[in-house]
Amino acid sequence: MNRADVLVRAGRLAAEGVPFVLATVVSVERPASARVGDRGLVTEDGELVGWVGGACSEPIVVREALLTLADGEPRLLRIGPPGRVTEGADANTVVAASSCASEGIVEVLVVPQLPEPLLVVLGGSPAAETLARLAPEVGWRVAREPKPEADAVVVATMGHGDEDALAAALERGTGYVGLVASAKRATVVLEELRGRGVDEEALARVRSPAGLDLGPSTQAEIAVAVLAELVAWRHSGTIVPAAPELAIDPVCGMEVAVGAAKETTVHDGVTYYFCGAGCRSRFEADPARYLPVETP
Amino acid sequence: MRDILPTLERWTADGLRTAVATVVSTERSAPRDPGAALAVSEGGEVAGSVTGGCVEPAVYQEAQEVLGGGEPRLRTYGIPDEDAFEVGLPCGGTVRIFVGLFEPATVTGLADAVRGERPVALVLPVSGAEANAARLVSGDQPAEDEVARHALELLAYGRTGMVEVEGEQVFVSSFAPRPNMYVFGAVDHAAALAEIGRFLGYRVTVCDARARFVTRERFPDVDELVVEWPDAFLRRAPVDERTAICVLTHDHKFDVPLLKVALRTPAAYIGAMGSRRTTDDRAERLRAEGVTDEELARLHAPIGLRIGARTPEEVAVAIAAELVRSLRGGAREASSRPEVGVGA
Repeated sequence: MNRADVLVRAGRLAAEGVPFVLATVVSVERPASARVGDRGLVTEDGELVGWVGGACSEPIVVREALLTLADGEPRLLRIGPPGRVTEGADANTVVAASSCASEGIVEVLVVPQLPEPLLVVLGGSPAAETLARLAPEVGWRVAREPKPEADAVVVATMGHGDEDALAAALERGTGYVGLVASAKRATVVLEELRGRGVDEEALARVRSPAGLDLGPSTQAEIAVAVLAELVAWRHSGTIVPAAPELAIDPVCGMEVAVGAAKETTVHDGVTYYFCGAGCRSRFEADPARYLPVETP
Repeated sequence: MRDILPTLERWTADGLRTAVATVVSTERSAPRDPGAALAVSEGGEVAGSVTGGCVEPAVYQEAQEVLGGGEPRLRTYGIPDEDAFEVGLPCGGTVRIFVGLFEPATVTGLADAVRGERPVALVLPVSGAEANAARLVSGDQPAEDEVARHALELLAYGRTGMVEVEGEQVFVSSFAPRPNMYVFGAVDHAAALAEIGRFLGYRVTVCDARARFVTRERFPDVDELVVEWPDAFLRRAPVDERTAICVLTHDHKFDVPLLKVALRTPAAYIGAMGSRRTTDDRAERLRAEGVTDEELARLHAPIGLRIGARTPEEVAVAIAAELVRSLRGGAREASSRPEVGVGA
């Protein structure tokens, strides 16, 4: 897959709202099989398409790509032979020793491409209408009917099914669940949910009234209060997926992403994960050499 | 009410008597704000809404009775207690709605003032002997009695609501021209802020000294674009107790002289962008220019609630939220909820 194909694939994933990571080679110290400008795309499953320098750098790029998807922060990777690779690296760079001693050093920028979060706004009050119109400006996708994959749900139905909508959102574990209602009405709604067997922990997650407390507000102002709370919530780090599970390659000592590892072997009922085929075959030839020595 | 004025004018011109149902108070979750109105002509035509469909049939019935010679009336709709909820009332919140006849002179006077962008308050006594004696109080005239004094006070802030005068309930609906929001600095944040500002009911002006940046392409939705040195513009621009001044210029050269002028206006909200360090530095410069600590205390800087905003659009939300809070007097903290992250 050439450089342009990577971008075509990236465009398709972005349009589908699927998260992925773009990895671009930004500097090379020869000898290296990568060239500046080479790029690859890493999917959520840890599949890498494109070219970022082959087997020497790929497992590291995949591992860091999955970490970057988890915390949303781009990273600059510096990959090269142990020892030499740490020279000249600044504090903001992730330094990783590769198992390819003959290689030079490549620097790869990995940038997560996360889809815009999905906000479901239920109800037709002016506050709901204003919220639904403003939220896309701030980088949210908006739906006006229930969606199981929603990141946030704001219920402002004025009684037409508040309880059903809230119960469904709580059941699915939606991150942000807000109710636009008077204190009196909210009490009634929560009591109804309690009666349906929704537990206290879940009920405590309902933000009621939804939105930052800005004082008694008009309908348009309520929309601003909710939007401000959504922005704060989005950046509080609660929206990103869990970090990937990592394992240590027993041969070279590199951390590899478990879910994405292609080279694995089972020994004495334990699965081992490797950065590449080389490490795996060395392990399989003499497992005892690479396993921790058991103390008698 | 504003939305149905053209219809009311037409009915009045046709000589039709008109009953108007006006929302005079609400609880937070009510679908429409106080001042929302539904009108019924003696021909049976309907315009407007008071709750977006929840209680309209009942209100229509009341209006018909008033048109038929019944007394003007104040009605309460909503959820008085849990029992009523269980009975199945469809809508949350509680609304009080006054239903009475509208005189032709009230309709034409109100419509003329709104068209001419002149501030006017519609005063509607809803209890006591005077109930339904609607009248207009002009913002340009001195108050002639206690009711008018209260009305002018609300009108100055563009507020609509209930006041109590000599033991009687009086509803005051402000028809003030939109308040001004002045945004200085034709940056990306300005475009985003202008849009939210308009949703909040402001007439938004963006001013910058650099003509290259002040273009319709960049600010399609702004009411007025001004190329002028910011402090010079603010010296001549109208500023009152409802005005919001947002300084996004980010440059001492512009914002020190500008804030010196702004802090001596009666504006409702004055905010200035910049890092904490820029803010401290600017405060020093303003003090050196003779600005007092009391004047400086009015300045919201760094501008915007701390909600972790990153993009210009998110910063605009943070500014709008701070503006609303300073007008409405909400909680000082961004949120009492610990799980809401508060960023830089």
